[in-house]
Amino acid sequence: MSEKKAFVIDVARCSGCYNCQLACKDEYCDNNWMPYAKPQPDVGQFWLRVDPHECGTIPKVRMHYIPRLCNHCDDASCMVAAPDAVYRREDGLVIIDPEKATGNRALVDSCPYGVIYWNEELNLPQKCTGCAHLLDNGNGVPRCVEACPTDAFKFGTETELKELIAEAEVLQPLQPKSDHSPRVYYLNIPKGFIAGTVYDPVDREVVIGAVCLLTCGGDEWTVITDDYGDFWFENLQQERQYDLKIESTGFITKSFTALSPVKDINLGDVPLDRKA
Amino acid sequence: MEGNTDTSMSSRRDKVDIGADKQVIKGLSLIGTAEAGSPAVVDVKNGRITRIRPLDYEWKYDKQDFNVWKMEARGNSFGPPMHAVLGPIMTSYKKRVYSKNRVRYPLKRVDWDPNGAQGSTGPGGRNTQNRGTSKYVRITWDEAAEIVASELKRVGTTYGPEAVLSQSDGHCEGKHLQSARGCMGRLLSLLGGYTIQMRNLDSWEGWVWGGKHVWGCEPVGEMTPMADLYPDIAQHTDLLLFWGCDPETTAHAINGQMASRLCYWLSEIGIKSVYVCPDLNYGAAVHADKWIPVLPNTDAALHLAIAYVWLTEGTYDKEYIATHAYGFDKFQAYVLGEEDGEPKTPAWASEKCGVPEWTIKALARDWAKKVTSIVHGNGGPGIRGPYSTEPGRLEPMLLGMRGLGKPGVHQAKMIEWPMFTEHAPLPYQGKIQPVLPHFADIIPPARGLSGQGLGAYTPKPHTPELNEWFEAAGLPPTQFIPKCLVPDAILHPPISWWGMQSFFGPASDQFVKHTFPREGCSEIHMVWTDSPCWTTCWNDTNSFIEAMRQPSIECIVAQHPWLENDCLLADVILPVATKFELDDIGNDIGSGVFTSMYLENQAVDPVGESLGDFDVVIKIAEKLGLRDEVAGKLTSEQMRKLAFEWSGVHNLVSWEEFKAKEYFVIPCDNEEKTPGLRGFYEDPAANPLTTPTGLLEYSCTALEEHFPDDPERPPVAQWIETGESHDERLSSERTKDYPLLCMSNHPHWRMHAQADDITWTREIQTMKLKGPDGYMYEPVWIHPSEAKKRGIQFGDLVKIFNERGVVLGGAYVTERVMPQVAYMDHGARWDPIIPGEVDRGGVINTLTPHNIISKKATGMVVSGFLVEVARVTDEELAAWRRDYPEAFDRDYDLATGVSLSGWLIEP
Repeated sequence: MSEKKAFVIDVARCSGCYNCQLACKDEYCDNNWMPYAKPQPDVGQFWLRVDPHECGTIPKVRMHYIPRLCNHCDDASCMVAAPDAVYRREDGLVIIDPEKATGNRALVDSCPYGVIYWNEELNLPQKCTGCAHLLDNGNGVPRCVEACPTDAFKFGTETELKELIAEAEVLQPLQPKSDHSPRVYYLNIPKGFIAGTVYDPVDREVVIGAVCLLTCGGDEWTVITDDYGDFWFENLQQERQYDLKIESTGFITKSFTALSPVKDINLGDVPLDRKA
Repeated sequence: MEGNTDTSMSSRRDKVDIGADKQVIKGLSLIGTAEAGSPAVVDVKNGRITRIRPLDYEWKYDKQDFNVWKMEARGNSFGPPMHAVLGPIMTSYKKRVYSKNRVRYPLKRVDWDPNGAQGSTGPGGRNTQNRGTSKYVRITWDEAAEIVASELKRVGTTYGPEAVLSQSDGHCEGKHLQSARGCMGRLLSLLGGYTIQMRNLDSWEGWVWGGKHVWGCEPVGEMTPMADLYPDIAQHTDLLLFWGCDPETTAHAINGQMASRLCYWLSEIGIKSVYVCPDLNYGAAVHADKWIPVLPNTDAALHLAIAYVWLTEGTYDKEYIATHAYGFDKFQAYVLGEEDGEPKTPAWASEKCGVPEWTIKALARDWAKKVTSIVHGNGGPGIRGPYSTEPGRLEPMLLGMRGLGKPGVHQAKMIEWPMFTEHAPLPYQGKIQPVLPHFADIIPPARGLSGQGLGAYTPKPHTPELNEWFEAAGLPPTQFIPKCLVPDAILHPPISWWGMQSFFGPASDQFVKHTFPREGCSEIHMVWTDSPCWTTCWNDTNSFIEAMRQPSIECIVAQHPWLENDCLLADVILPVATKFELDDIGNDIGSGVFTSMYLENQAVDPVGESLGDFDVVIKIAEKLGLRDEVAGKLTSEQMRKLAFEWSGVHNLVSWEEFKAKEYFVIPCDNEEKTPGLRGFYEDPAANPLTTPTGLLEYSCTALEEHFPDDPERPPVAQWIETGESHDERLSSERTKDYPLLCMSNHPHWRMHAQADDITWTREIQTMKLKGPDGYMYEPVWIHPSEAKKRGIQFGDLVKIFNERGVVLGGAYVTERVMPQVAYMDHGARWDPIIPGEVDRGGVINTLTPHNIISKKATGMVVSGFLVEVARVTDEELAAWRRDYPEAFDRDYDLATGVSLSGWLIEP
């Protein structure tokens, strides 16, 4: 943990309003903040971009949103690629110097997270500055943080945020297995789910209280169907394969094997046949 | 990696100047006419807007001054943040001010000659048939004012002053001094009268024409009073049914995003959120514990099946019904099938509403078991669909079966928190509600008719100076036309209808019949609009376009900040300044954070030659020798001070201090209120509803008396499969050609017609999809199974169509919408290929039903109707390009969409 600045984004509290993406544009499009940043193009580039994720199939569908911005990495590839044009401030924010980086198109590809954009008109690689020009002038937090309606964004030193960071994860770079020590942390990014609704096709009623047993290797999880006959297994590891057994008194047990939640799985309305 | 750490930060710090030449406060609600809304701080430098940020309430005060409100439940608490919570349109509103779509100077339609005779075509003619096709030339303010003034005189002399139709209602920026609505009424009144377009109750149709007959709840038929609903819900409710409610959409541009924070908290304290809607709307997408998809406008079938389960299983509150209800036996007989031989079972309903029988039973039983409230947020097909009176009545009837008004059992809203209620549903929201006078009288009732216009927000008595101002334009309009019947009034006069003599009239008004034209009055020959969004917001708008192209409509004048929608039908277009360009005074009574009032100083100079809304009218009044009568004697500074002195805030802070600090937070009030309809619950005799019996009317006594045999709105609410007015069900013969039910929500990225041109929201895929031809199309949501049947891929150029027209869109193939449904938001800007037939901009309302809710319910139908969706083939597009080259050759700005340059003929 350090006194370097970090972002912590709680995905479970992100409503997908895009205020962060829009406030970033409000700050940087058609505004010149030299020597920190030249203007961001009006459209097509996103120093902060919200990525929507649609999960599941009807009616077991959920959305979550991942705001992506410069990670202000402790081991920043852009600084390696252009040591003269990219610098790190004392507070940890990584800045592309617009004067020195002009013409350096290679910087765009140097970023393992794909968050550096090429400004054709200015012949310039550009990205999030952490609103350093505002922080240096007494504004406590970057625009994206300030604009968030649900406090999903936190900004502070790693020391201040250490309890949240302990629970958080970072985004995977485009080339996996490289570690850049990013300083944008995420909480509660959903993993895979397996869900369904259990019903009795004869009485045409949901089955409440059915025991759903999910197994994978030696691990197992149990969920009891709720008042709507629903079961949800959440935060499953997408690369693993799962077996599912649904049992209820008076019904023939139903089994599913080798379920792989690479994409979230909705088993739909699952009929349970009564025992003879 | 410390090697290239910057060590010259202090020098850098000196070089950049983030500061502003000035900072002003602007309220950014787009509801208009009611309030200015969530306050933002606007930084201005070198005459340009630099940034827009939420107001930090502690900027010039200590929070101790606010007596901060808080609600507590289940060991948890919820209160306001110390800053305004802006919505995304508010955050990006700078783009609206500087839009390439702004009207920068007065415009005249190039082939409209005011000297032409009625019906004249060609050079020197009026060429009304070319409205929506022909472009515009720049004229001077003097020319524009002269043309409008002489047309007003000529039309008045030829036909009578009431031949001028004033369209002046609906949403807009929240302005008070230069009210964005109604300014022309003052001049038209001085000219001897006019015809007013009376806005139908578009946001609440089913509640108004149905719900009010069950539970009163004037003026719009949603549950009132709403005092302290959320503290009561937080403490007592276990299950919230978000019924067609999207708390992450409709509140965004009206109130901001406090609803979002509230939804997260209600979930955190363990209250279950079940969303019942055809789409996984934006609220359901992140807040729902369960989504129950229901086919558009079939909620009434689901309601009836739930009642069936409760009746047959004996799980409703029989004691409450015995003391609080009238006519329950008739309802029970209908549900059980004793009248029509058709019990309204879950199996019966499942066929109609698309919810599995077992899920209907599960919902009914869960609802019976848990303390439940229903939540709404306006919009959605249930309340704006064909026969919306039926779900609008059945919902309060179901709530009655659960003991409406008892702890935790309410209908609550995620929007319009300050409206129609003395005390807000969030607790302790300010000791007073600072209401500000609008300096225009908005949709006043016509001569001899009673009722309140949107002047409901300017109750009298005023101060003597304000009285003098308002009395200077004392004549009411001569006659009126309900907004949803304007095309019929022009195309097929005379017409008759029931009710709608005022916007917020009592239920009894619905039994009064009116006719247009009134005896001895003229038909319409001239239109003056300051709300030019009929085309993209109302019903069967291709018929409106047809009406506006009639030779009998000799002149159309539009005044608006942006060149959009109905402006493209106008002959003269007058440029209006946005609120950023004007001085004003504003109030936030609905954001739910704090109640506040603020001085809105001018941020930037007017764009182009635009003027304030009243100043536009004054320009014309000058030509008619009525300048002083219209302008009055008050300066804008006097108006601001008078408004302040009238608001009630003057009792809490001096004008001098308010003017210096530019905002004031009304201290919160610490008194607990009686929640919702608790009084009625506890003692219905002492606290009756406003229904004729004072009870919940399961058979509506006013309908029994006036329309006992109306098959489309019988005294007991029913399921209406089809009727004389509408044939819009999946059982219809029409499904042979139009097999999908179209739902059209209140738009996520717009406030109805407002803000379709913000370049930064347009690059988000749920707002616009880039078509193969580069055009930014309005998304059409369709389920993968329906897309597959039609060979449609995500992003394809598609057409959505029925007998009423064709609209182009981008295919948004998603699991977020049911099979058998097509979903397209309303409010996209009109970009006609063939005016009245084919639209490229995405105006779904051109396909909406022509007829009103039902024969005797004068509201509009804009969702829940039949359509088909198909890929647009290259040949089809090529044919349109060949046959209508002017529509495709118009300059189109890829980022902004429809822009001024596309409709302007440069000299």
